[in-house]
Amino acid sequence: MKRRVEKFLEMSKLVGNNNVVVDMAGFMSVLDEKGDSFDFIKLNSIDGFDRVCSVGKKGIKRALVEADYAIAETGTVVVESSNENFRRATSLSDELFLVIRSSRVLNKLEEIANYMKEHTKKESYISFITGASRTADIEMSLTLGVHGPRDMTIFLIEEEQV
Amino acid sequence: MNELHLRIEKALSDRVLRDNLDTFYHNYKESHKRAYEGFDFNELKKEVGKIKFLSKEERLKLFEEFKKNVESAGAKVFEAKDSKEACDYIASVCKRHSSEYVVKSKSMTAEEIGLNAYLEKNGIKPVETDLGEWIIQLAKETPSHMIMPAIHKNRKQVAKLFREHLGVEVEDDDIEGMVRIARHYLREFYFKAKVGITGANVAVSETGTIGIITNEGNGRLTTTIPPVHIVVLGYEKLVKNFKEALKIIRVLPKNATGQIISVYVSWIKGAVESLSNPEGKKELHFVFVDNGRKALMGNPYFDEAMKCIRCGSCANVCPSYGVLGGHVFGHIYTGPIGAILTSFYHDDKRAMEILSLCCGCKACSEICPADIELSELIANIYGGLRFKYGLNTVRGSIYTNILARPKTLKGAAKIGSLVLKSVERSSRLRSKLTPKKHDFRVLPLPKSKSFSAVFKERLEPQQKKVDGKGRVFFYPGCAIEYLYPEVGLSMARLLNRVGLSVSIPDRMVCCGFPAVHDGDRAAAKKIIRQNAFYLPKGDDFDYFLVLCPTCGTTVKSLFSQFTLDMPKEYEKIERMEKKIVNFSKLLDELGLTVKTKGDILFTYHIPCHQNRGLHFSGEGFLKKILPRFYVPMRDKDRCCGFGGSFSIDYPEVSKAILDKKIDSIVSTNASVVVTECPGCIMQIRGGIMKRGLPIEVLHLSEFLDRYVELS
Repeated sequence: MKRRVEKFLEMSKLVGNNNVVVDMAGFMSVLDEKGDSFDFIKLNSIDGFDRVCSVGKKGIKRALVEADYAIAETGTVVVESSNENFRRATSLSDELFLVIRSSRVLNKLEEIANYMKEHTKKESYISFITGASRTADIEMSLTLGVHGPRDMTIFLIEEEQV
Repeated sequence: MNELHLRIEKALSDRVLRDNLDTFYHNYKESHKRAYEGFDFNELKKEVGKIKFLSKEERLKLFEEFKKNVESAGAKVFEAKDSKEACDYIASVCKRHSSEYVVKSKSMTAEEIGLNAYLEKNGIKPVETDLGEWIIQLAKETPSHMIMPAIHKNRKQVAKLFREHLGVEVEDDDIEGMVRIARHYLREFYFKAKVGITGANVAVSETGTIGIITNEGNGRLTTTIPPVHIVVLGYEKLVKNFKEALKIIRVLPKNATGQIISVYVSWIKGAVESLSNPEGKKELHFVFVDNGRKALMGNPYFDEAMKCIRCGSCANVCPSYGVLGGHVFGHIYTGPIGAILTSFYHDDKRAMEILSLCCGCKACSEICPADIELSELIANIYGGLRFKYGLNTVRGSIYTNILARPKTLKGAAKIGSLVLKSVERSSRLRSKLTPKKHDFRVLPLPKSKSFSAVFKERLEPQQKKVDGKGRVFFYPGCAIEYLYPEVGLSMARLLNRVGLSVSIPDRMVCCGFPAVHDGDRAAAKKIIRQNAFYLPKGDDFDYFLVLCPTCGTTVKSLFSQFTLDMPKEYEKIERMEKKIVNFSKLLDELGLTVKTKGDILFTYHIPCHQNRGLHFSGEGFLKKILPRFYVPMRDKDRCCGFGGSFSIDYPEVSKAILDKKIDSIVSTNASVVVTECPGCIMQIRGGIMKRGLPIEVLHLSEFLDRYVELS
């Protein structure tokens, strides 16, 4: 698991993400201290912090959400996004913060295939997100934040190995 | 001058285009390599090729399964016979929702059917949300690259477009500012539009889920905010399951731009929740476009083209695209695959122009992540179209009546030599007879005595006395035989010195490649079968040596194909194929010791068919034996622009490609360029002589004979 997590962090860094590695207690104190600075919070596995606002044309400043899985090979987070307001929050926030538990980091792309199959049996929208929104359409010069977030941070919660 | 040549001239004099394409060509190769670190590209390529290689029945079955799955999730599926039907359907959905604006996320299929123009005619305003696509929409142009539609523009031009069309202030240099403008300006339209239109990169049948990739996030917004979503796609996007889809997602961004994965992959199944739709859920339509696809699916010659995943990488490495861009080397679909798709989905004549601009370097086939033999498809489609428009007669008759007949070929070379020599004697006559466009290289004259004649006279008698370390059968090919006998003679002397005997064919005909490249399969068949008679038995030698990799590649990959119905010849060729070597490979296997005769700085140009046909380049060998004297050149495996008849049909394009090669050579400071193909020698030596540069261009055999001692 350690190598998987390391690879994920390496690839995540490569696309320009800020990586913050914390244990659960550490993450809880982040929430306690900085929780208020987020306009939108949706955490699947930690109760009591969710904060939902409706997101319109103007967008929001900061969104914090939890990913279902991450993929080490590409530095990708897999985010269940079927709820439209959730999708808007993650698309229209200036800064996007993603939480992922270390036990949820997969090695290769194909390993997410079963999850995809199960989750898309009914109507659904799943997003792979790998870094902040970007373009190189003008002279191949890389520029961040075209339509979506200009900045992305990963909170990787290290869990005890079972 | 015809219209195509005018467009070529315009492209070649566009400095912005040239600089952008040049930077991209060079950077792409490096980033492609980096992106695949830890993977075996050739393995992945085979895997994807297999996933996408489906029979018509299999593909239609996947379609039925996909349809059933999305319909049960609230979507509508429409099959459009052609562009008109597809556009009609889409426009009627937009009208039903009185959508003044529609937002679009980049879709090549939408480009294919001319959707934007159609919607505009119907009073609906499409707004492209991908930055590159939006730029060309403002400029009223078509994409010049499938992935980077505005690759032909620079920042200044974009800034000017923004000022003129949007009335905003922006500095010429301020790319970040331009991106901010796009963000601000386009954001409005996601909320104004009632309909969002996208393509799909994959369509997974097992669940009815589509995958859309974008970097900007515009795809995610286009499919999220408006109450209606229309997906325009072709049957080629269908795959069985997620395992397969993910393998495609793995290679697509890597091959497109050298990116490990795109920022967003949006996986959408069915009519999801929608805040702006009064019914609370999205209205979702799938428009499957036929437009010739169903015929292509069932065509055993060309169905391979359906494997394409639209990464655009074949354009990235194409030497002709690299100097012309997609507005010349492409129609709506650009690059090598564009040449093929245009012939199926669009205009025949336009397709033929693009196809004719292929120089046959095989770089596209090598880079294709779906394992499409693009180069072969291009030649074969071109052949069919040439026949249709009656263009095959002159060249076809040269192929079958001269190149396939030993005596006539010899005679023609002789006459050619006499005529050209008399022309050469009078410089006035020469300049009069050579149109200016063609005068970018000094061409060699056919020798009055062929390689075979000299070899038989001087070297053949002593072959029996050579120390029996091995028997080499040498296949001279036309260029060594008639233009560069000294290349062959150097080789024979060298091999004799290290104890190998050399034999040559009794009679010589062309290998057939010119006919193959022209797609003249009938002529190619005739020439190759003639060859089959003249070749010795596979047991009569240890090595089958070529000094021209194009001949070698033709023998290796095509001779057996054209002799399937000749049991004895087929067997002979089968045995022979395993023994085919180029000179560097042969010497590498012999493991000789080497000493230079003094200091000599040299560089190596990798001939196209060396790497991509014979799969062995002399670079590694030379680096190994002469490490202190070797300087690598930038883009060493980039084509020199020769391409046989290509350089005669399109001298201006050939020159533009050659110029890049010579620039790379000059910047190495080497005094010798070594290569292993007589075509490359003709082109590069000719260009260097024309420029009057003090650089020698030598075949490996001449180089070793002149500068190195082997033992």
